[in-house]
Order: sequence, then C-alpha cells, then structure tokens
Amino acid sequence: MKLSRNLALSCEILAAQKLRTLLSVTGIVVGVGAVVLIVSAGRGAEKKILDRIRDMGTNLIVVNAGQTRIIAGRQRQIATVTTLKADDAEAIARQCPSVALAAPATSKKLATRYESENANTNVVGMTPEGFHVRNIAIASGRSFDPEENRAQRRVAILGPTVVENLFDGADPTGLRIRIGRVPFEVVGVMAPKGMDANGVDQDDLIIVPLGTAMRRLFNVTHIQTIYVQARSAELLNTGEKEIRELLRQRHRLRDKPDDFTIQNQATLVDTERETTRSMTFLIGSVAGISLMVGGIGILAVMLISVRERTGEIGLRRAVGARRSDIRTQFLLESGLLAAVGGLVGVLGGVGAALAVSMLGYWETVISWPAALIGFAFSVFVGIVFGIYPAIHAAALEPIEALRAE
Amino acid sequence: MIELKTIEKTYGSGDTATPVLKGISFRIQAGEYVALMGASGTGKSTLMNIVGCLDKPTGGQYQLDGADAVTLDDNALSHLRNQKIGFVFQQFHLLERTTALKNVMLPLIYSEPYPEDAEQRAEKVLTAVGLNDRMYYRPGELSGGQQQRVAIARALITNPQIILADEPTGNLDSKSGLEILAIFKRLHRDGHTIIIVTHDEEVAEHADRVIVLKDGKIEQDRRVAQPRDAEKEVDERIGREDAE
Repeated sequence: MKLSRNLALSCEILAAQKLRTLLSVTGIVVGVGAVVLIVSAGRGAEKKILDRIRDMGTNLIVVNAGQTRIIAGRQRQIATVTTLKADDAEAIARQCPSVALAAPATSKKLATRYESENANTNVVGMTPEGFHVRNIAIASGRSFDPEENRAQRRVAILGPTVVENLFDGADPTGLRIRIGRVPFEVVGVMAPKGMDANGVDQDDLIIVPLGTAMRRLFNVTHIQTIYVQARSAELLNTGEKEIRELLRQRHRLRDKPDDFTIQNQATLVDTERETTRSMTFLIGSVAGISLMVGGIGILAVMLISVRERTGEIGLRRAVGARRSDIRTQFLLESGLLAAVGGLVGVLGGVGAALAVSMLGYWETVISWPAALIGFAFSVFVGIVFGIYPAIHAAALEPIEALRAE
Repeated sequence: MIELKTIEKTYGSGDTATPVLKGISFRIQAGEYVALMGASGTGKSTLMNIVGCLDKPTGGQYQLDGADAVTLDDNALSHLRNQKIGFVFQQFHLLERTTALKNVMLPLIYSEPYPEDAEQRAEKVLTAVGLNDRMYYRPGELSGGQQQRVAIARALITNPQIILADEPTGNLDSKSGLEILAIFKRLHRDGHTIIIVTHDEEVAEHADRVIVLKDGKIEQDRRVAQPRDAEKEVDERIGREDAE
C-alpha cells in the first residue's frame, strides 16, 4: 500500500526535525498526561473512600434515630428523637432473618481527664458485638465482655488519638481516667483507623459499655444508632427492608413517616463512587479540552510544514503523486505526530501518577482505560486538526509548488 | 510519441488575459534528443510543463504516446507522469532529509504495483549514474553535480520513455554540467527520448534537434548536423587531466 510505503519516509522527515516535532506535540503530551494523571488520582481517591466505607464494617447496615440529612458532607441528625431503644437492636437481631448481629450505640462529646491533661472526646456507648460489626480491632489490652456491659462497669477502650492527647502516647492500660465526673478504668486501646472520607479523625473516641454510657454518663433511655451486620453482602437490601418493617411496627408508625434512617453499605458505596466518578469525569474533561489546544499546536506546525515543503509537494506531484496521495500523506503525518505525543503523554501521565503515589502525596490507581481513551483521542485530534493543512497541501498546483523554492 | 497541435496557453482572462503560447505545433519521435530553446519569457517553461503533463493548455491538442493529455483528469495525468516521464529540474528538488537511495525510490511509492525489487532497482540506477558509493548520503553531503545525478537516477527509476530536463546544467559548473550531458547522451543512445529545456547554446549543441521559441511561437526547428558528444568530451578531458 502506498500509505505504508510513505510512512517510513514521513517518519524520517519528522524525525529529522526533532525540536519542532517535540514542540508541536507538547500540547498533546501535556493534555494526555493530565488526563491520565487526573483520572488515576480520581481513581485513587475513589479507592480510598471505598476502603474507608469497607473499614466501617462488613456487610454493614446503619440505623439512625430520626431523619438525618447530609449537611456539609457529614450526616447529622436534624432533631433529637427518643424512640429508638436498645430493645429495638435486640429485636432486629432476633427477628430479621437476614441479620447476623445488631449492636446498639449512642454517643456524646464529653470532657475527659487524666491527671492534668484534658480533652473533649466523642464517647461512644456500645455493646460488645459493636466491635465486630464495626471492624474495630483492639491493638493492646482487651475489649469488654457482655457481663461487664450488663453490669454497667466503668471500663473504657481508647482510640489512638485519645491516648496521644491524654497520655502522650504512653500505654494507658490499667490507668484511671475521668469521663465527665465519672472515673473509668482503661482496659484497652483500639487499632488506628485514620481519617474518614470527610476528614474526620476516626481514632478520637472512647468506647464504653452501652449501659454504663446511658445510665452513668448521658442519663438517657434511648439510643442513637444501631449497627447491623447482614448475613451476606447480597442480603444488605433485604435486611434493610426487614429492619424498616420491624421498626415501623415496633414504633407503631402506621401512616406516619419513619422516625429512623437506614443506610446500607452497598448504597453508600454506590453513592460515593458516583460522586467521585462524576468529579473525576469533570476534571478529566477539562484536561481533555487542553488536548484540543494541543491539536492547535499540530495545526500550526502542519501549516508551516506544508508551506516549507511546498517544493517537496510539487516534486511528489511531478513524479506521480495524486492529490489524494498528498492529502493522505499530510493527514498521516499529523496523526503520527499526535500519536507520538499521545504515547509520550500516556507514559508521562502514568509515570507522574506512580511518582505521586510513591512519594506519598496521593494514592493513585493507574487507569488504563483513561490512558487508552486519551491516546485514541489525541490521534483523533491530530487527524482532525491535520485535515485543513492536508487539504491545503493537496490543493497546490504542481507547477506553482515546484516554482516555490 | 509526442504530438502537439496549435497549443495555446493564456493566463488570466478578459482584459488581463496574457497569451504565453500562441499555437505551437511539433512532433517528437521516440528516441529523439531535442533541445527546447528560447530566452526567458518566451514560454519555454510553460511549454515544458504542458509537455510534462504538469499543466494543461487552454487550446490545441496534445497526444502523448497515444493518450489525449488535454482531456485526461488529474489522477490520470499523475499516472502518466509517473509511468512515462522522468523529470530533471534545475534546482534538483531532492528531499533534503533522506538518503540518495530513498530519493531515487520516491516515484515508486506512487506506482502500482509497487515493485518488490524497488531497492535493487534504485541501486542499479544510482550505479548507472556513477553514485554506487554515495547511496546512503543525504543531498547536503553531495556536490551539485552528484545531486543532479541523484535526480537523474530518480527520473530513471520508473523506466520512463521520456526524460524531461529543465535547465539541468543551470546550477552546475561546466565540468559537472558536461558530465550530466554525458549521462543524457548515454540515455539517448540507450533509446530514451530526451527533451532538454535550456537557454544555453552550448547545451543545445549536444542535441540532435533544436526547437527555438520566440514570443510564444516556434521561431526555428532545425536538425543539428554534428551534435557534440559529451561522453567523448568527458573522456578526453579525463585523458587530459591524467596526462597533466
């Protein structure tokens, strides 16, 4: 085919002008590189958020008292509702066939003290099942058992941040702290979890037995949250339905709206994934637009090239090239330029994404589909922006083109 | 082979119309060696472009090897140029960024079917013009005479019947020019039809026939009784240089 015969020669001609070839494809390189980097960063962010959601527990369904709403990125209760009780959790565990475990919990921010150190900390009252349902691991010491829960013992398990704040990082096991005015014995320390998707420190908390918290600390008879573990990931939605029916019945709601909110991990994952995806898509598209600018670079260089190589065009016509041969040649050259730029851009973007990851700035997940699309799009841009110069070259009259030099 | 009948070429139209060729008729047989002469502005370049199928006349008829070159479309003319005509230009028109070999192979890119032995053919024609040791040189690394020989090799690669040379010695010193003319002489002896466009009497002396243009018309069409033999002159010159 004429095309392939000429390709080698085109490569040779383009390669002979290294600097210009480099400059002409810079825009494409940057554009494709940016797309790959941004999408990889977005995928990294998505992975991070999803990991955090998974960290929250396995097959988790969360029941909150009252209607909640997401305000400034965090889920907040809009009014205090006192209808959710610890009994509800027991009923869910007993009566819902899709549910494996249900752990009631309630929390409040309270002043805590060890000797002269003070800190305001989120104090969570929870039953022992909660550790399992919420994937809370004990790093040192121990958790509390159902007996201690029932007996409303004053034992506390601290998050790493609390240990840092009150004990300067020293092992607090066996020491006594005060929560509000009530003395507690520290029996264990939780493994660190880091920040959640919204940047809230998940390690800044103290867990105490639920009964202790309700009676001795908060003086309430209701709870805020029930953490439920479904028997399998497939049963998350069924479990949610069962829980809703049961609670509506227990709370005698009839035609009134729910006085609780249920979320399950699967829908949470879907929502978060959608959010990060649309964000990534948005920023990626902006980067994609810079590819268009890269196309203009190619347009400019190809126009100069046609002017400069007018004599060559004339000669090729004289030795038998048809107009269409000239057109194809220049289209091929601009496509080739863009392809080289796209390839370098992909390598650069992947390299940058790996570097960002390795240097620890941001976790990235290389997106090969984005790389492929970026590359294909750059070739497309090269050909589209090559059309005008190619038509211009093909339209030259051979005798005038020959005379041009 | 080549037959022109009352060829006219007028640039522009209406009041600004400028006639350049005003009824040119001649016939060139296969194997002739013709010099097309005339001062600049007499239309000899325009005539050459028409003969070479690079341009179309505005009037008259042109038969090239039985084909009606006036009515053929652009693609057919491209094909005709590729197969029947080899061009040699004053400015050589070589691609600067590639080797002599690739330059010579260029016309083959556009011929169908593409010969499998393209590279061997290019080597052969380059050897025929005495450049067997310069095949991988770029034009910038060659002398003017060598560059013109690359251009001749390129004109020969498709084995065309007609070699059309436009002031082929115009940019060369007399020695290199003579060497180029010697190559043309040999090609003529091998049966090629040679048409050289020139304003130089000395160059025209090498042809069998001289057609002189003036003001867009043929002023003279004569046979040369004793054409100079460039091949012999080059040999003699080498002999002289060896003697010195």
